Amino acid sequence: MSNKPRITPGGVAQAGAAMAYHTGSWRTQRPTHVHAIAPCHHACPAGEDPQAYLALLDEDRPREAWEALVAANPLPGVTGRVCPHFCESACNRSELDEAVAIHSVERFLGDEALAQGWAYPVDPPAADAPIVAAVGAGPAGLSFAYHALQLGWRARLFDALPEAGGVCRSAIPTYRLPRTVLDGEVERLLSLPGLEFQPHMRFGLDFDLQDLLQDHAGVFLGLGTQRPHPWDIGGAIPADLHNGLDLLKEWLDHGSIPSYRRVAVVGGGNTSVDLARVLKRAGAEHVYLVTHAALPNQGESPGDEMPALAREVAQALEEGVEILTHKGVHRLLLQGERVVGVEITHMKKLPDASGHAVRTAFEGTETVLPVDAVIPAVGEVIDPTGLEALLNGAPYLKTDQDGFAGHALVYAGGDMNGRSGTVTEAIGDGRRAAMALHARVRDVEAYAPLSPIAGWEQINPAYYEPSPRIQETVLPVAKRTGCAEIEPGPSAHQAHREAGRCLSCGMCLACDNCFTLCPDQAVLKSPENLEDGSRYVFDYDYCKGCGLCARECPCGFIQMIDEY
Amino acid sequence: MTAVPIPLSDLRRRQPRFTGISPGHRACQGCGELLAARLVTEAAGPDVVVANATGCLEVTTTNWPDSAWRVPWIHSLFENTAAVASGIEAALKAQSRSSKVLAFAGDGGTFDIGFQALSGMIERGHNVLYVCYDNEAYMNTGVQRSGSTPVGAATTTSPAGKERLGKRHLKKDILSIIAAHYMPYAATATVAYPADLRHKVRRAIEVEGPTFLLVHSPCPQGWGHDGSRTVEVARLGVQSGLVPLIELERGAVTGVMPIREPRPVADYLKAQARFRHLFADSAEAARELQHLQALAEHNIERYGLSAPGPEAHDSEGADTVRRGGNQWA
Ligand SMILES: Cc1cc2nc3c(=O)[nH]c(=O)nc-3n(C[C@H](O)[C@H](O)[C@H](O)COP(=O)(O)OP(=O)(O)OC[C@H]3O[C@@H](n4cnc5c(N)ncnc54)[C@H](O)[C@@H]3O)c2cc1C
Ligand SMILES: Cc1ncc(C[n+]2csc(CCOP(=O)(O)OP(=O)(O)O)c2C)c(N)n1
Ligand code: SF4
Ligand code: SF4
Ligand code: SF4
Ligand SMILES: [Mg+2]
Repeated sequence: MSNKPRITPGGVAQAGAAMAYHTGSWRTQRPTHVHAIAPCHHACPAGEDPQAYLALLDEDRPREAWEALVAANPLPGVTGRVCPHFCESACNRSELDEAVAIHSVERFLGDEALAQGWAYPVDPPAADAPIVAAVGAGPAGLSFAYHALQLGWRARLFDALPEAGGVCRSAIPTYRLPRTVLDGEVERLLSLPGLEFQPHMRFGLDFDLQDLLQDHAGVFLGLGTQRPHPWDIGGAIPADLHNGLDLLKEWLDHGSIPSYRRVAVVGGGNTSVDLARVLKRAGAEHVYLVTHAALPNQGESPGDEMPALAREVAQALEEGVEILTHKGVHRLLLQGERVVGVEITHMKKLPDASGHAVRTAFEGTETVLPVDAVIPAVGEVIDPTGLEALLNGAPYLKTDQDGFAGHALVYAGGDMNGRSGTVTEAIGDGRRAAMALHARVRDVEAYAPLSPIAGWEQINPAYYEPSPRIQETVLPVAKRTGCAEIEPGPSAHQAHREAGRCLSCGMCLACDNCFTLCPDQAVLKSPENLEDGSRYVFDYDYCKGCGLCARECPCGFIQMIDEY
Repeated sequence: MTAVPIPLSDLRRRQPRFTGISPGHRACQGCGELLAARLVTEAAGPDVVVANATGCLEVTTTNWPDSAWRVPWIHSLFENTAAVASGIEAALKAQSRSSKVLAFAGDGGTFDIGFQALSGMIERGHNVLYVCYDNEAYMNTGVQRSGSTPVGAATTTSPAGKERLGKRHLKKDILSIIAAHYMPYAATATVAYPADLRHKVRRAIEVEGPTFLLVHSPCPQGWGHDGSRTVEVARLGVQSGLVPLIELERGAVTGVMPIREPRPVADYLKAQARFRHLFADSAEAARELQHLQALAEHNIERYGLSAPGPEAHDSEGADTVRRGGNQWA
């Protein structure tokens, strides 16, 4: 025995023995991980989830980012260029500084995939899988066929023309959609195993709906709107009348366009703007675009604005197109049968006695504009041949949200449904129709509703730094000649940087805030990704339900829910 | 529900951080003091001995026979933590052992009752990091005002009523008093900027000799805010200028966290019931509110807290998140 003085030990305890006490019993609310839908995802008509692919690019996984992107949209190189980017208008980041330039990243990934030769992540369908038909190889039909393949069907795609692409090929000018991009994406899609492309097949002439239904497990119609809207001025039509869409198609097909010194284009949609720009490039001194509407975003009401995309209108103005807003052509000045001028007046769409909006010209505002030609580009309508039974006299083919046309297994989408008017919407229509048809035939759930949405109120802005959006470069006006693309697109560095600007709305970005800030160490970190897509897990034995983690989660991935 | 590949207890053993204080402690929901102590002990690592004054931290972590501590820890009296820490340090030195001694105490135990022991510890040059968890009142005994309670704050012993608008006296400038000891290193920190806090703990531990850290730690019970808002309140304290984050070496200011966009002090005060009376519709309330605003502005001038432009370590940049948890270091 030692004779050292004994020290009374006092209260001693084992290290960390407090863990035997489970403070989780104090809780009245529990934190949970909720992958809420990012506003950009909710807003994208094609069904893209930009949050997902921006996150993957931010992690420097470009190929996986592209795969996440093409899970919804097989043509990102196209939409990255021509889509009006619905997603960016909804982006939460615009509350902080400026929206993420999602379309630039989309375009970068689309181009990168073409450059690297990445293949769609789609398994070939079984050789004896049932086959569905898509008529019209525009964005809607292409998307339908693609998604049908993804769902395990085989697909047959018909088009009257020798090549697929629809309006993207026939009318969207190459200076904003190079054919190398369109060809690359369309060819990659058409060469998917299980997809059969049948060109030179005109619906209503070479085959009809009955034939299709006989041979296929389902039919999708994506014929677009190919007929110019009829146009005349008080019954007068110039003898040498050219239609805007036809001129554009001719220019794209043959590179030829009549040269005018002064020309009036009548319209306000994409066709009129693209045509005006093409005419300017062909050397016209004055290209007047006469529209009864206001410039985009400047109207007295949404119905009072040109339907053309704002960005295209802005570039047209830069290029010297003279847009005469709130004006209309009142009278043609003819010398013999040749147009020598137009009389224009102030004009607005105003409600008549029954409340219908009608074009109203104002007396006493007539002005004569000397021109060599007037070209209508006032929109296109459906070609009813072969569709009579479905149309029932209507100008568009009415469908429900899924694209169901109300007849047997017939679905439709894209421009012909009268609701859609962009490439992106057409792609979404094709996708939803494929999923709906699949769900109907296979008797499974169609698709999960996109909710809840991670709105701005879910974001904790304290954790993000201001960061300017990339400035897209555009060729100076003097260099915008010919067919070369005028927007060179983002560099890889810019695209990565832009992906880093994403707030990751509604999805864990693995910032460690919850792990760092929980006073009770009730948030544990896992080395691998867990089922909910995060690497964090709540230890409910100890979580007291204080809600601190939910409040300090920057992106709204943690929600408190009542225990009782 | 999340499927976790391994049992949680195993996962807990494999966490990429050192655990100084285990869960199971009895601190209130959203306790700022426990969060602060957790962050300090994590940054300090396992090679420490802790002397802990009476107060919330001590009481909530040691419901005998349980203890949440996973480092050697001793409970001192309320008034003598610094003396106990000095003794431990001297004993370790005599045994040629190099463990760092940490002294933990609340603001009551530091600004008031433990102050002479602290002063002596510094004056004798003990190699101790003294951390004061500043929740601005004697919380453990039910929210009595301390030398640290800010002017205007209501506590049970400085209530707001007809005669008075909460505490009449100013918060003691403890850092200046500490600095007057020819102190090698003294700093302020807060739970709202964990990276800054960790950095200061490591810096203080490196210094051979006495060091002092004042950690602003919101108390949901005593301050009257929801437990979920602890970090938010702490952040507003810094952003308003009322809680300057500074570093002093030998009394000279050697580092500050600049404030990018000063927030009105009212934003900070409004978030807490202890200042509710300052928003009454009276001239006195308005004057006291302006008083606190002036104190914040005085801090900004005195320590040069105005940021010349955005920078990574200012009040907005210092808590920026990055994908993949770069924050945790
Ligand atoms: C000049 C112009 C510019 C535009 N710019 C943009 C833009 O920048 N961004 C944007 O998002 N949208 C733009 N749009 C709109 C966009 O092009 C359309 O919304 C989109 O192409 C519609 O796709 P779709 O598949 O429904 O139809 P379409 O693209 O019209 O494709 C229909 C396909 O069906 C084929 N087809 C038609 N009839 C038959 C038949 N009887 N038998 C067999 N095949 C047939 C056609 O040959 C065609 O290939 C523009 C449109 C025009 C005209
Ligand atoms: C000498 C002495 N006086 C009074 C007390 C009662 N007492 C225990 S804790 C405490 C308040 C502690 O306040 P503070 O130091 O600010 O720590 P907090 O609880 O706020 O973290 C008091 C007064 C005591 N334990 N010893
Ligand atoms: S910040 Fe990111 S996730 Fe949020 S809306 Fe914008 S792009 Fe989508
Ligand atoms: S911070 Fe911790 S204790 Fe509070 S709710 Fe979140 S996990 Fe639970
Ligand atoms: S706080 Fe950070 S790590 Fe935790 S869930 Fe939210 S995003 Fe993920
Ligand atoms: Mg205290």
